[in-house]
This record gives sequence, C-alpha cells and structure tokens, in this order.
Amino acid sequence: MISIISIIEGLLLIVPALLSVAFVTIAERKTMASMQRRLGPNAVGYYGLLQAFADALKLLLKEYVAPTQANIILFFIGPMITLIFSLLGYLVVPFDSGIFVSDYSLGMFYMLAVSSLATYGSLRSTAQLISYELILSSVIIVIILLTGNLNIITIVESQRIVDFLLPLFPLFIIFFIGSIAETNRAPFDLAEAESELVSGFMTEHSASVFVFFFLAEYASIILICVLNSILFFGGYLCIIPVEFLIDILYTLFGINSSILQDIFVNFSSSPLNLAFKTALLIFVFI
Amino acid sequence: MTTTTFFLFLIPVLGIILLLVNLILSPHNPYQEKDSAFECGFHSFLGQNRTQFSISFFIFALLFLLFDLEILLVYPYVVSAYTNGIYGLLIMLVFFVILTLGFVFELGKNALKIESRQVFNFNIKSWNGYSLIYK
Repeated sequence: MISIISIIEGLLLIVPALLSVAFVTIAERKTMASMQRRLGPNAVGYYGLLQAFADALKLLLKEYVAPTQANIILFFIGPMITLIFSLLGYLVVPFDSGIFVSDYSLGMFYMLAVSSLATYGSLRSTAQLISYELILSSVIIVIILLTGNLNIITIVESQRIVDFLLPLFPLFIIFFIGSIAETNRAPFDLAEAESELVSGFMTEHSASVFVFFFLAEYASIILICVLNSILFFGGYLCIIPVEFLIDILYTLFGINSSILQDIFVNFSSSPLNLAFKTALLIFVFI
Repeated sequence: MTTTTFFLFLIPVLGIILLLVNLILSPHNPYQEKDSAFECGFHSFLGQNRTQFSISFFIFALLFLLFDLEILLVYPYVVSAYTNGIYGLLIMLVFFVILTLGFVFELGKNALKIESRQVFNFNIKSWNGYSLIYK
C-alpha cells in the first residue's frame, strides 16, 4: 500500500534533484562560454535558462541508434544503471535537522556503494575507478573514526562546534581530488577526453540513452559535492558556528544569551546552508 | 510501503518511462553505415571491441578488489574503535600485516610489471627507479 505522503516525499526529493541537474548543465555551459568569449545558450527562456529542458525534449524525440556489434541489452541497461544509482544516492542526504527521507544507521555505507556504482564506462574509466575509489573510502574511514558512527546525520551533527574542514584539511584536499577523479571532471577526464577521444564511452549512445548518461554524470557531480559538504563543511549547519558566536557576544559585550539564542536558533541549521556549500563546490567542478 | 521503498521503485520506473517515450515517439530507420561502430572518416574494423588484454591489467584490478574489501572490513573496527581498545587494534594490525605481506610477495614476484611494447631509446639505467612497476 503506497501512502500519498510517501509519493509526495519521493517526488519532492527527485524533482528538485533533476531540476538542479538541469541548471548545473546550463551553469557549466554559460561559464565555459564566458571563459571563451562566447554568449553560450541565450535563446530559450530568459537568459537561456530553459536550454536544458529544450535539449532534453529534443533528445527524447531523436532516433536511437544501436550499433550492430554492441550487446543490445547491455547497451541500453548500462546508462540506465548509471542514472538509477546516481539518483538513488539522494535518498540519504539530510537537508535540515529533521528534514530527511531516510535515516539509515548505515547511511555512509549506502552513499559509498551508490556513488561508486554510478561510475560507468569502458576500460579507461575502470582504470580511473580503481585508482581513486580506495582514496575516497579510506578518507571516509578517518571521519568515521572521529564520529564513531556511520549515520550521516550524526556525522553532520558532530560538526556543530567546528567543521571537519579545519582539523582534517589535508584529508579534505585528498578527498576533493579523489571526488573530481571519480566524476571524470577536467584534470582527470581521460575517460571522455574531448580533445583526443570524441566523447569517450558516450560516443555511440544517442537519444534518451545519451540523456541518461548526461543526467547521471551531473547528478553524481552534485551528489559528490553534497557528500563533500556533508563530510567536511558541516552539511546543513550554519557556516559560522552559532553557539560559538553566542559565546563570543556574551563574553565580549555581555549580551543576554537567552535573547541571542532566540535570535540565532533559526540560523543554526537550514537547507540553504547545504545548498550554498554545494553550489560553491559545484562551481569548482565546472 | 515507506518512502524509501517507494523511492527505490520510482527511479527505475522513471528511467524505463524515459526510454519508452524515446522508443515510441522517435523515428527508427537504420541502415548499415549508421549502425556500424563509430570511426572517424573510414570504415570501421569489425571485431574491435572485446579484444584481449594483458593479464597484468587483470591482476591490478584484482589487487584493487582486494584492498577495497580490506577497507570495507576495517569499517566495523573503526565504528567500534572507542570500545575495542588495544586488543582490537592488535587484531587489526595482524590483518594489515598479512595483507601487506601478500602484496610485498606479489611485488617481489614481479607480478605487477606491465610488459611495454615500446622501446626506450635512451639510457635504461636512468629508469631503474621507475622500473619497479612499469618495465
């Protein structure tokens, strides 16, 4: 029996995820265009904001080509698996204190398994996965050693005083490089190097199969940015530690801390914090 | 049915719907040139995919699998490291030492050397440091 609430929750999770994927593609194309002194997409919608939707609709109406030498079932199932697993990862993301879909006690395991399955490709990408997957999981080990828990919400809540970015800064650099390599972005894009290979493993995929790849790639970029900000930037917690701020204001200016608590308690955690941190990280990926 | 289960069903259904929309709405008139493997400018060779590759690449992949599983086996220790104390740490160290000995044995047997077909024209002696893995 499917309750209406669970349907609404599922859609509330997946629709913003797909929308954010669409806007990340536009953001990337606009940024690259302005780096190369072009306009970029600017015709569809205001400032070209609806370009991704137009592209998706166009690709859905295109002819699908299945090469004769390909294994047809694997040819169609591969991209679907990529898309499915990169979207499944959004299940365990906590958006605010109390706002989450599922509170697994093994959430970090789930996230790790899903984000590594979402990488798909040929021999080249397998080689890359082999090289960088170990780094991601061994950095997560250290964070779990600090928190003593695999639950993602506990990991976020244990950063209330200070983000893990500060004590674990070298680990953050390692993890960030590993995550760039995991999503096949610019310095590590040898799986689909556009200057040497045409488009890597995506070359022969067309129409909706290509849409799957495209969605999956950007969905996993956003997912791994969310993972970065959860592990190192404190997820939904405020960028400035609010309790610390209250203490400072109380000791320096002698302002009554109960009034301050009333003012600042709303700022201590918000989905906007997660969105801001993730957006900053995504911009680095672009 | 909880939201989690619904979500696990929703996403594959979403993918299948997208694929079906494409299969139903799009035209489909293939011919031999269109369906052949992509190649720049000339006819593609048949049977290029699924070629054989050297066994040492497979050994590298096997090593990755081994160490990935090793890290997965460390996770339960890491979660309970606070309560385990020195005994758990010692057991973990024994586990690590056995794995490391296996890895050293494999390195010593030259199992990880990938035979390169390229010929170095310059002095081989300067490459001795690099030749542990790449020969």
